[in-house]
Amino acid sequence: MEGSAAEAAVEAIDFSRLIIIVNAGIVSTALMAAGLALRRGSLTEGVPDGRQNFGEFVLDFFVGKAREMSHGHDRAKVVGIVAPLLATFFLFIFISNLFMVLPLPKLNRPPTAHFSVTLALGIASVLATIGLGMVFQGVKGGLKHLVWPNPLEFIAKITDVFSLALRLFGNIGGEYMTLVLVTGVVALGIPLIMHVLGFIPAFVQALVFTLLTASFTASALHKEEKKEKKKRTRRRGLRRSKELAPEASVATAEGGS
Amino acid sequence: MSELTTMALVAIVPIAIGAAFAALAMRQISVSAIDGMTRQPEIAPQLFTAMLIGMALIEALCIYTLVVTLVLAGKI
Repeated sequence: MEGSAAEAAVEAIDFSRLIIIVNAGIVSTALMAAGLALRRGSLTEGVPDGRQNFGEFVLDFFVGKAREMSHGHDRAKVVGIVAPLLATFFLFIFISNLFMVLPLPKLNRPPTAHFSVTLALGIASVLATIGLGMVFQGVKGGLKHLVWPNPLEFIAKITDVFSLALRLFGNIGGEYMTLVLVTGVVALGIPLIMHVLGFIPAFVQALVFTLLTASFTASALHKEEKKEKKKRTRRRGLRRSKELAPEASVATAEGGS
Repeated sequence: MSELTTMALVAIVPIAIGAAFAALAMRQISVSAIDGMTRQPEIAPQLFTAMLIGMALIEALCIYTLVVTLVLAGKI
């Protein structure tokens, strides 16, 4: 009796791969279609319409996050690469998690409740972090981050993969499993409450995955602070004065040094 | 040893211990974050982000327990 409950719980998340592939495909296709629909037409002319407002509302947070980590780098390049990455992670995970609340059989299985999907997301996130480090610090600088402050740093990267993957899988899979078990006991009324409460972990876990990816990326982009502290503040002052008065900046810089 | 006892030893007790200590740690985080937010409401968004990250890191430990428990429970 006790064993059967545990088996039911384990079987609840151990469902067929085909459903996962189909559901993940639905999410990706929907996201790509939405992206293309949002891009259609000229968005920069005239009064922004509802589409543009919505797109900017969604992307604003990620652009802000990417802007925070662009110290000492080309800001437009950092924002252009990092913001879409974070937005993709967030939207894919959030919409996948929302599959839990659909009242349809087979379609209500969130792809993120399967360990293979979350493991893939975790690997993608950590590889993207390492790759971004190589893009912005050079190949040598990016690889140096794997061994530099601590020679075992590359083990931390491997643990990051599992911690990201297990966190997402545990939360969404656990939520889905609870939902299945509760529906098996009481089919009326109570599952509705669980569905509504399911929105909270769906949003929070997508946000947490994105924020952790952002903080890993920020540490990969972080420049070494050897003797650069003085130089950088002077450079920043230079840049600020350049924005204010292009002619005056040269004189200030020369006077300062 | 009966099946129920084994189940309790390998699955129920570990997840209970893991969840209890994770809950204590999360209480500490949320209390400090709310303290900070009431003192300085203007930095509430940054505090909230930091709170979420800290909670996620602690929650991961509890999730590891859950995963180990699930694996073991599936084997009984």
